[in-house]
Amino acid sequence: MLIGALLSGLVFGLYFTLVGLGLNLVFGVMRIVNLAHGDFLMLGAFAAYWMFALFGLHPLYAALAVLVVFVVLGLPIYYLIVPRLQMARDAEMLSIILFFGLSQMIEAVTSIAFGTTERSIPGRVLGTGPVTILGQRLPSAWVFGAAVSAIAVACVYLYLYRTRLGSLTRAVMVSRDEALATGIDVHRVSALAFGIGIALAGIAGVFAPFMLGSVTPALGPEINVAAFAVIVVGTLGNPLGTVLGGIIYGVGLMLMQTYFSSWANILPNLLLIAVLLFRPEGLLGRATRRA
Amino acid sequence: MLRRSVVVIAALASILFVPARVEAQTAPAEIRIGHPYAGSGPYASISMPVYLGLKLWVDRTNEAGGAFVKPFNKKIPLKLIAYDDQSSTATAATLVNQLITQDHVDMLVSDSGSVLTSVAVPIARDHKQLLFNPTGTGAAFFTKDNPYVVLLADPASTVWPKYISELLGNSAKTAGIKRVALLYATNDFTGTQASTIRNYIKAHADTGLELVYDQGVPTATSNYTVLINNVAATNPDAVVALGYVGNDIAFLRNLQDSGQKFPFLFMIYPGVEKEELLKNVGATGMEGVFTYAMSTEIEYKPNFGMTAAEYKKAWHDTYPDGKYEFGFNAIAGYTVGLVLERTLATTESLDQLALRAAVQGLSGKLTTLDGPFEVDAETGAQLGEITPVGQLRAGGKMEAVWPLDLANGKPTFGKK
Repeated sequence: MLIGALLSGLVFGLYFTLVGLGLNLVFGVMRIVNLAHGDFLMLGAFAAYWMFALFGLHPLYAALAVLVVFVVLGLPIYYLIVPRLQMARDAEMLSIILFFGLSQMIEAVTSIAFGTTERSIPGRVLGTGPVTILGQRLPSAWVFGAAVSAIAVACVYLYLYRTRLGSLTRAVMVSRDEALATGIDVHRVSALAFGIGIALAGIAGVFAPFMLGSVTPALGPEINVAAFAVIVVGTLGNPLGTVLGGIIYGVGLMLMQTYFSSWANILPNLLLIAVLLFRPEGLLGRATRRA
Repeated sequence: MLRRSVVVIAALASILFVPARVEAQTAPAEIRIGHPYAGSGPYASISMPVYLGLKLWVDRTNEAGGAFVKPFNKKIPLKLIAYDDQSSTATAATLVNQLITQDHVDMLVSDSGSVLTSVAVPIARDHKQLLFNPTGTGAAFFTKDNPYVVLLADPASTVWPKYISELLGNSAKTAGIKRVALLYATNDFTGTQASTIRNYIKAHADTGLELVYDQGVPTATSNYTVLINNVAATNPDAVVALGYVGNDIAFLRNLQDSGQKFPFLFMIYPGVEKEELLKNVGATGMEGVFTYAMSTEIEYKPNFGMTAAEYKKAWHDTYPDGKYEFGFNAIAGYTVGLVLERTLATTESLDQLALRAAVQGLSGKLTTLDGPFEVDAETGAQLGEITPVGQLRAGGKMEAVWPLDLANGKPTFGKK
C-alpha cells in the first residue's frame, strides 16, 4: 500500500504542480493573489467538456485551444484590473478581495449558463485500462495528466530562462521598480505573464474531469485551497518551486488517504500551517525565489 | 324619509357583509412558502433539482388558482420565497432565520441534503416553526422531543440501508459474499447509513459476514485511485461505497480506470441520480452495480399528483435546456409540493403544530409518485418511501433485486 500511495502521490502531485504553476507565476511577477485562479481552471474544464461534447475534440487539442484563448483573454483582463490595483497602497491585500469577487461572479455566471450538474469526459479518451508502473496500477488518464503537466513545467522553464521575454519577466519578478527604471515595458511583460498564468490554469482544467472525476461550477474555491498549499510549500513567487510543492501535496494526500483517510482534506491546511510556522519563505527559500 | 331609508339600508348592509369582510381580512392573500436552496457550491447538484421540482409544483398550482386551504375554505395563491445559500451552512442558517423572522413564511421548507438541513433543524425548533424537510435524512434530526420537523421525500438514513443490509446477509448465506469493505463519506447522510450497515454486519457475524475495511473519507474527496487499491488489498467480496453524486462519479470512473473489479459493489447515486451518473460514467462502468431502486425506477400508483412518467414529461417540458438532470431529487421537490398541498387542504389552521398534525394525518393515506407516505408520529421521520435494492444491467437498465416481493430480477455477482 505504501509504494502505491507514493507512486500515485507522485503522479497526482505532478498534476497539482500544473494547478499551482499559473497562480505562482502571477504572484511572482505581479505580487497579486489571483483568487479566481480555481475558477479559470473550472472554465478550462467546461471549455474542454463542451469541445468534446459538441465536436468530439480530443483534450490535447482542447488544451491547445484553451492555451491560445486564455492567453488572449488574459491580456484585456490584466489591463482592466491589475494596473489600477497596483496603484493602491496595499495591492496584495486588495487583490485578494477583488479576485474573490471575480471568482464569485465567474461561478455564478457559469452556474446560470450551464447549470450545476456534474460533467465529465469519458476516461477512455485518454487511453483504456490502467498503466502499470513498478507493479502499481495507475489510471492512464492520470499518467497523461502528469505528462502534460511535466511538459507545461518544461515550457515555462524554457520561457523564463531561454527567451528574451522570459528574462524580462524574471527581471520584473526581482524588482518591478528597477525593471521599470531600466526601461522594461513592465505592463507588457506582466500582461503576458497574467495570460500565461490563467492559460496554465485553463490547461489544468482540461484534465480536471479525468483527475477529479467530474466538474461543476463550484470547483474553483476547493482548487484554490490546494493550489495555495502547493505554492506556499514550494515557495511563493518561484514558479519552479511549484514542482516540489505539488509533489509534496500529492504524496501527502495519498498517504493521508491510506493511513488517516477521514482527515485527508485537512492536509492543505496542515501544510500551510507547517510551512508558515517553520519555513515561511517556502522550502526552496529566498535564493531561488529571486530567479 | 329617503335619508332614513338610506341609513337603514346601510345598517342592514353592514350587518350582512360583516362576516364576509372578516373572512376576507383573515384569509391571507397568499400562502408564503420559504425555501433556501443551493444555486452554487458543492450541494447545488442535489439542491437545484429539489428547488426546481418545488417551483414547478408552485407554478402549476398557481395556474390552477392556488392551493385549497381548508381553514378559509378557498383556494389561495402560493408565493415561493427562495434564497440561494450557495451551499454554505452559515448562509443557510442566516436565510432560515430571515425566512422565519423577516418574511414570516407560513411554511418553511429546508434545503435538501443532511448537511444544509442540519443548521435549519435547531433554528426552526427554537422559533417553533415546522420544518418541512425534503431530503435531510440524518438520524439525529428526528427526536421525540422535537415536533417541529417532518421528513417528506425520502426515508431517514437509518431506514435507507435496511434492504441492502438484508441483501448482504442473504448473499453471505447463498453466494459466499462474506468479506465486506465499507468506504463512506463522513457526513450525516452517508455516515448514518454506514453505521447501520456496520451494526448489521456485526449483529449477523454468524452468517459469516465480516468487515475487512471500514474507513471514512471527506465528502469533498474527488479521487479514489489509492483508496480503491487499499480496499482491493483487503480482498473483499463486497464493497459498499457510500457518497454523494460527485463521490460516486469519481469512484466509478477511478474503478473503471484502475481495471479493478469487485464481485459485489453497492453505491447510492447510480440509482438516485441515474441519468447524471450514466452521462458521467457510462452504462458499461455502472453495469452490475447494486444501488437503491428509487421512485425513478419503481412505478408507484399515486393517489395524488402526477405519475412518475407524467412528471418526467412535465419536468422536461418545463426545463428543456438539460441544465438540470431529471432524477430522484427532482421527484423529491415535487413530492414536497404535493405534501404541502394536501397539508393545506386538511389542516385546521395555519398554526405550526396544526400543520404538523395535518401532515401526520396524511400518513398511511397518501401515496405519491415517490411511494407510500408514512411519518413516524413521535419523531417526524419518514418511514414509508422505502429504498429497495436494484442492480444495473447492460445499457443502464435497472432491475429491483431485493426485497423479494418487489424484485423483478435476481442479483448476480461478479468474479474476484
